[in-house]
Amino acid sequence: MESSGSFLAARLAAGDDRALAEAFDELGPAVHAVARQILGDAAAAQDVVQEVFVDLWVHPQRYDETLGTLRTYLTLVARHRAQDVVRSELRRSAREERHVRLVPLPPRRSPEQEVADADTASTVRDAVRSLPDDQRRAVELAYFDGLSYRDVARRIGIPEGTAKSRVRLALAKLETMLGHELLEPS
Amino acid sequence: MTADALPAGLRERVLTAARELRAPGRTVPDVPDISPVEACSRAADAFLRLLTALADADWRRPVLRDLDVAGLVGHLTGVEDDVQRALDGDRDVACVDHVASTQPAADHAASRSPEEVRRAWRATADRTLERVRGADLDAVERVHGLRLPLGALLVVRAFELWTHENDIRLAAGLPASVPDAATLRRMTELAVRLLPYGVARVSDPVAPLDVHLVLTGAGGGTWDVAVGERTGPAPEVAIVADAVGFCRLVADRITQADLGAQVSGAAGAADVVLAGAAALALD
Repeated sequence: MESSGSFLAARLAAGDDRALAEAFDELGPAVHAVARQILGDAAAAQDVVQEVFVDLWVHPQRYDETLGTLRTYLTLVARHRAQDVVRSELRRSAREERHVRLVPLPPRRSPEQEVADADTASTVRDAVRSLPDDQRRAVELAYFDGLSYRDVARRIGIPEGTAKSRVRLALAKLETMLGHELLEPS
Repeated sequence: MTADALPAGLRERVLTAARELRAPGRTVPDVPDISPVEACSRAADAFLRLLTALADADWRRPVLRDLDVAGLVGHLTGVEDDVQRALDGDRDVACVDHVASTQPAADHAASRSPEEVRRAWRATADRTLERVRGADLDAVERVHGLRLPLGALLVVRAFELWTHENDIRLAAGLPASVPDAATLRRMTELAVRLLPYGVARVSDPVAPLDVHLVLTGAGGGTWDVAVGERTGPAPEVAIVADAVGFCRLVADRITQADLGAQVSGAAGAADVVLAGAAALALD
């Protein structure tokens, strides 16, 4: 079957998910290589690959063959996404650094408090692990990695509203499992 | 780097995430859903616009079989009359031949002025549309050897009007027309639904076959169609073609070679499928 960029894009627009699989098989390695080269981090590079191909599937009309091949288009999108991730990480690091400088260190905790906190953390981690994969991933990114809903959505490759609803669902389940008090910051 | 070098599971993860956001088969952009009545009405409006734009001399141009433009419009007037008789429950029109039954109307049109022929067709087309607005579109109607729910019959009517509109355009040296995306989507959907019946007309017995059909362009879509009796796993053929071109093939106005479909899978099976599509044509 012919695999020119515009032909693949036309198939994608017609709802042919086999065209997406073909595009991934042919161009996934190149997209991944670009993301990996910029990000270094394997997990972040995979997130970028997912974003790039999900975007191709949802918005195939954004590809314009007159501006270049599909390979060029996808690797360019991957480069921009990866650079966005790098910029976002840099901003976050800078924020955290400012926060550390401005906020006084908390008072030293007693050994009993440390043990109790460790127990609580372990219980919460177990509960989070028991969540469905999609909800677990969203809540980990939002609460453990401190990402905004928008960044969670971009990282997973889903709309922001879906990210919010997954986090809400996850929190509702955690509240049922753990009780309200364990979810409240002390 | 090859696909094998990608991290394990990434392919599945990407494809799953993509399908979660947009289900396979859903087109981009979305095509508004219109009723079969609306599709037929739009095809009738397009046909009338063409007739209104024709010069008197164009009405005497040969178009199809032994018909000139006036005769072809007369034929369509006869079709509308037969559809209305079917709606009245007249079984005499259930099995009559599409061409033979309408020949008197075509002959009658030959002796009338273009204005009279056009008015007569528009009046009877309007009567059909008036009759079917609010009617039960699932009620089975029988006319010209077809036995279809009313909704499907109206899409067949839209198909025939568009086909003959383009016959006249070709005869008058005018550029071909394309239905709007919503009407075309109705036409492609119906053609795909009827495809197994078309294949059965050209192949006896019908070998089991899974057809993955992708019609590109506005009004297209993606379908998986089972052809033939299922007795176990069937070979598969994937066909990708332009949606408008596919409809022209279904109308038997172009050949398989003209369509230029991209095919993969079961060798030779695509020829049977596309011949089946062309066998759906009324005339």
